[in-house]
This record gives sequence, C-alpha cells and structure tokens, in this order.
Amino acid sequence: MTDAMRTLAETLGDPLFPDVDLALRSGRHIDREDLARFAFLQSAQEVLETFYRRYECDLVFATAGYFYLVPVADRVRRRQLTAGEMLVGQTLALLYLEPSTLRSGGVVGRSELTERLAGIVGDDALVAALNPRRKRAARSVAEEAVRTEIDRALRSLAGLGFVDLLEDSLRLRPPLLRFADPVRGLGNESSALEQLIREGKIVSEAEHPEDEDA
Amino acid sequence: MVSDAHRLIGSLVHAKAQLHLETADLCLLVALRARAEVASLVSFEESLLVDTFEEICVLTDPAAESPRKRATHAIQRLRDQRMLARVDGVGLLRPGEYSLTRLATALVDFFLSDEALTRESLTVLTKTLLSELAAITQEARRATTPDAWRQGVVERLRVTVSELLGGIERRQRGMDAQQEEVRAEIAGLLQKDWFAAVDACEALLEKTASTLRELAEVLLQDASHLQGLLQEIEGAADAASAGEAAAAVAHVSEQVDRAAAWGGERQRAWGEYYQYVQGYLRSVVRLDPDRALSQRLRDQLAHWPERPFALAIADAPALRVMREVSPRPETRVVARAPRDWQPALQDTAPERDELEQQVAQALAAGAASLKDVLEQVLTRTVADKRFVSVGRVAAIVARLRPVVREYERPWHPVGPELEAQDWVFAEPAS
Repeated sequence: MTDAMRTLAETLGDPLFPDVDLALRSGRHIDREDLARFAFLQSAQEVLETFYRRYECDLVFATAGYFYLVPVADRVRRRQLTAGEMLVGQTLALLYLEPSTLRSGGVVGRSELTERLAGIVGDDALVAALNPRRKRAARSVAEEAVRTEIDRALRSLAGLGFVDLLEDSLRLRPPLLRFADPVRGLGNESSALEQLIREGKIVSEAEHPEDEDA
Repeated sequence: MVSDAHRLIGSLVHAKAQLHLETADLCLLVALRARAEVASLVSFEESLLVDTFEEICVLTDPAAESPRKRATHAIQRLRDQRMLARVDGVGLLRPGEYSLTRLATALVDFFLSDEALTRESLTVLTKTLLSELAAITQEARRATTPDAWRQGVVERLRVTVSELLGGIERRQRGMDAQQEEVRAEIAGLLQKDWFAAVDACEALLEKTASTLRELAEVLLQDASHLQGLLQEIEGAADAASAGEAAAAVAHVSEQVDRAAAWGGERQRAWGEYYQYVQGYLRSVVRLDPDRALSQRLRDQLAHWPERPFALAIADAPALRVMREVSPRPETRVVARAPRDWQPALQDTAPERDELEQQVAQALAAGAASLKDVLEQVLTRTVADKRFVSVGRVAAIVARLRPVVREYERPWHPVGPELEAQDWVFAEPAS
C-alpha cells in the first residue's frame, strides 16, 4: 500500500480517498483507532500535504498520533469551536490524562465529566460561559440549559472524532490532546497560544467575538 | 434451570434472604478452613471457634473490647446465615461442635482461589479432557443396552467431562479477575511513579497479552479435537437412538464452544486495551516526563472563561448531490361534494295516499291486528320499500283504529325478511 501511494493520481484513485477527504474537510480528526483511514493517511501523507496546500489548508499530523485539516485561508470554510465545545473538550482532555482512566480503557461516565467541569470552572462561571446572552434565570433553568449545552457539545465533539458516545458513558480518544496544545511545551503559555494562532490552529475569541455562534 | 432459578428467586424474596458479613466474619471462615485442612478436622469445638475469632480480632480490631462476647455474636451470626452448622445435636447442654457449610466453603474458596488459567493448567485440563472423551467414544461404540449408555457415556459426560470443563471455566473467571487486577496495577503504577513506571507497565501489558494469546491458541486447537470426538459420540448415540446421551453431548458441546469463545473474546478486548495504554504511554507519559501537563491544562481550563480561545477546524459543507430528474407523478384529482350539500327532497305524498287507501281497505276487509294489515299491504309493496312501509302503515293504523293495550306485544313475521310487533285492534265504538 505504501508503494502504491507514491503519486497523487494513485492517491486520489484509492477507494478510501473520497471518504477520508470528506471527513477531513468536515473537521474530523482521524486517529489510529480508525485503522483503515489512518493507514491511508500515513501512507499518502506527503502527497496529500501538497494536495491540500493548494486549497490553502494544512494537513497536520500530531505527535499524539492523529491527523486533521486546518484551513489557513478562506478557500475551505472553517469554524471555531463554541464555548461549550471548548469547555467540555478541555475537561475531557484532562480526564484523558489521568492514569485512573486507563483502568477502564479510556471510558468515563457522563456524570464524571459534568462534576469535573463544574468543580474546576465553578457553577456560576459555567452558567455564565454557556449562557452569555441569557438574562438571570432560575437556578434549575440555568442548570438545565448547561446540561443541554454539554450534550450538544458532546455530540459535536463526537462528530469531530474527539470522543465516542456510549450509552451512559464516553470513550476518550487521543485527538483530545489537541485541547492541551497551548500548554504542551514548557515555555510561556501566551507565546505558545500566539504561535498556534499564527498557524491558524487556534482562534482568539477576543479577536473574533462575533464568530462565537458561527 | 431457568424455572429453577425463578423458583429460587421467588423463595429468596419470600424469605427476605440476605447475607451480611463483617471482615472479621470472613476472616474467621478462612481461618477455620485453613485449620481444617492442616489438622484434618471435620468439625470445630466452640472453644476453638472463640479462640480463632480472638486471634482474628487482634488483627482486624485490636482495640475492641470483650472479644469473647463478639465471638459469640459472630458465631450466632454465621449460624443464622447458614455458614456454620451445629453438628453435635446436644443443644444447650454443653458447648457445641460446628462445621462449615457448603455456602461458607464456597465463599472461602472464592477468596482463596488463585486458580487463574495458565498455559500449563489449560494444557493439562484439555489433554485430560481429550483422553476422557476418547475413552467415552470407545464406550459409545461398544454400548448396546440403555444401562451401558447411561453408565459408560451419559454419567461420564455429566460428571467427569463437565467437571473438567467447569474447571476450565472457573480458571477463566480467575484469569478475568487477574486482568482486572493488572489494569488496576497499571493505573496505580502510573499514578505513583509516572515516567518511572513505563517499563513495568509495558511488561505487565506484554505478559498478559502473551498469556491470553497462548490460551486462545490452545483453546482453539483443542476445541476442534474435542468437538470432533463429541460428534463421534453423538453419531453413535443417534444410531442407537440414545436420546439421553445425545442431550448430554449437546450440553458438553455448548460448554466447549463457550470455553473456546472466551479465548478469542478476551484476546480481542485485551488487544484494544493494549493499544489504548500503549498510545497513552507514547503520547502522554513519554512526552510529559515531569507530569506537568495535567496541572497546566487544569489551570488553562480554570482561567478559560476569562481568557477564551477556540480551536479552529475545517467546516466545508457537504457536497450537494442533485437528485435525479424524474417526471412529476400524475396526481389523481379527488372531488367530493361540498360540505353543505343535501340530497334533493322527494315528494312522498302520492305513495302515502296510496298506502292509506290500502290500509283502509284492509281494515274494511276485517283485519283484526297490525299483522293482518301488514300482510295485506306488504304483498303489494316492492321489496326495498317494505321496511319503510311498515313504519308508515303503523302510523296510519294508529290514527285510524284504537289499539288494545297489552302487557306484552308479540313479534310476528310479516313477509320473508321482516318481523313486526303486533297490535290487536279494539272493537270500534258503536
């Protein structure tokens, strides 16, 4: 397979290409668990990097072992994750890093996510972050709105390849480590963030507040 | 078996059965079992129970007061829950003598059991199983009478072979428990030593993986031999119409299938876990030897509402696939009458006049009841108007003639398909 992927024509002619291409363009992260697509991308990485550069996109292979596409201009539409997706994603990344999660093979309960998120961010900050335009509402209404936002975020993150939704639990996947990219290095967090913004992998909400609901 | 289980559950619910054991109780049972094995004891004197409990109390609760009293309570508790049985039958006359019940022995066995499946134990078990089945196959070939089938085949399949397979299954459960322990151990090692634990974790993963691989291979290979022998026995049983033997073979065959499936299933599950942990070691532990990432990510999350940022992702819309052009299907026009439409009224006056004349003629001819009138009038009416005519005739009759008020008016057939309640006419006033 590796030898067969040397030319662009052969890569584009592979039956897996349309599926992989559509997945990448829709924002999906492809890791080792997605064996066939991951193997295809690994074997065609060089060719596809050049191919996507013509669309002004970067095909990124992260050290944690997953591929994703980052549009650096407007030829391929892009969006930034919502506040809910960011909060849930970072919490799941935190759970992924914990050795205790290993015992269950990366499966955590939904309630564990909610408790951890509220524990770190705080109930009030969570309500404010997930309902920025809503006026003061009864506590039960606000909590219900937070739960709804978390569910919505989980569905979206599942579609992007960060997590698998099981019945009452979640299976964490390696692409979650993308949420830890700004704090990966031992250097200054702000400069790491700036670097990621320059690379187009992260958007500062202070610069694009109007994109929030995009 | 299922109906037995239902009955048992019902009786347990009815009796409100429950088990409640403290750590000291469990320890006492284990200690008693150990003493019984060492000293070949069949039963225990009460003083021995109390002494053993006191020794255990030193370990479990050194500060406890009046351990003898606690021992008495513990013995009573174990008797109430059918863990200890009094075997001397003397009652209150002197201290009793007790033995462990089957329930207590099973509990102790569970905790004592370190019978995880190993390649060696599995090989011994499957080879014994194969030789036993080979011997049963010979018996099956020779068996000619129902007794020979029962003793040589059925009983041996039910007892010896099922026990051996039960031994494999029990060890499989032990192996499952061992895998759980390995998972917990890996998590614990990383929690404690992080980067320094990588090699130990990899060794644990590898060891379990290779054990499971070997077991699956042995099971797969020997299961086909076992099934071959079972098929031979089944063939002989079918030929001799030995239904009981065939059923016993089917049961054993299911057990063999289950044992073989376990190997593949556990190997697959461990494979997934292996991949996950290897990924974790590679992408988390090795890249973050100082274990600083968790804390930094935690800080990032805690301050995110004040300093928000978001990941950028591709979001190209899905390709639009135009549907194939097809001619618009012809829709049938459905017409119906307007809601306020009423059928045109018909003038029924001529018919009524005619009917009135016919009724008058019948009355004049001496009709004494409604039935008589109807019989005369309906013979001149077309069939589909007879039902309506009955009502009209009755109305005319009621107007022209007084009727006797009877307590019960009889029903009479008037024509081939109708019945009418009859009225008898009163004599006209002279």
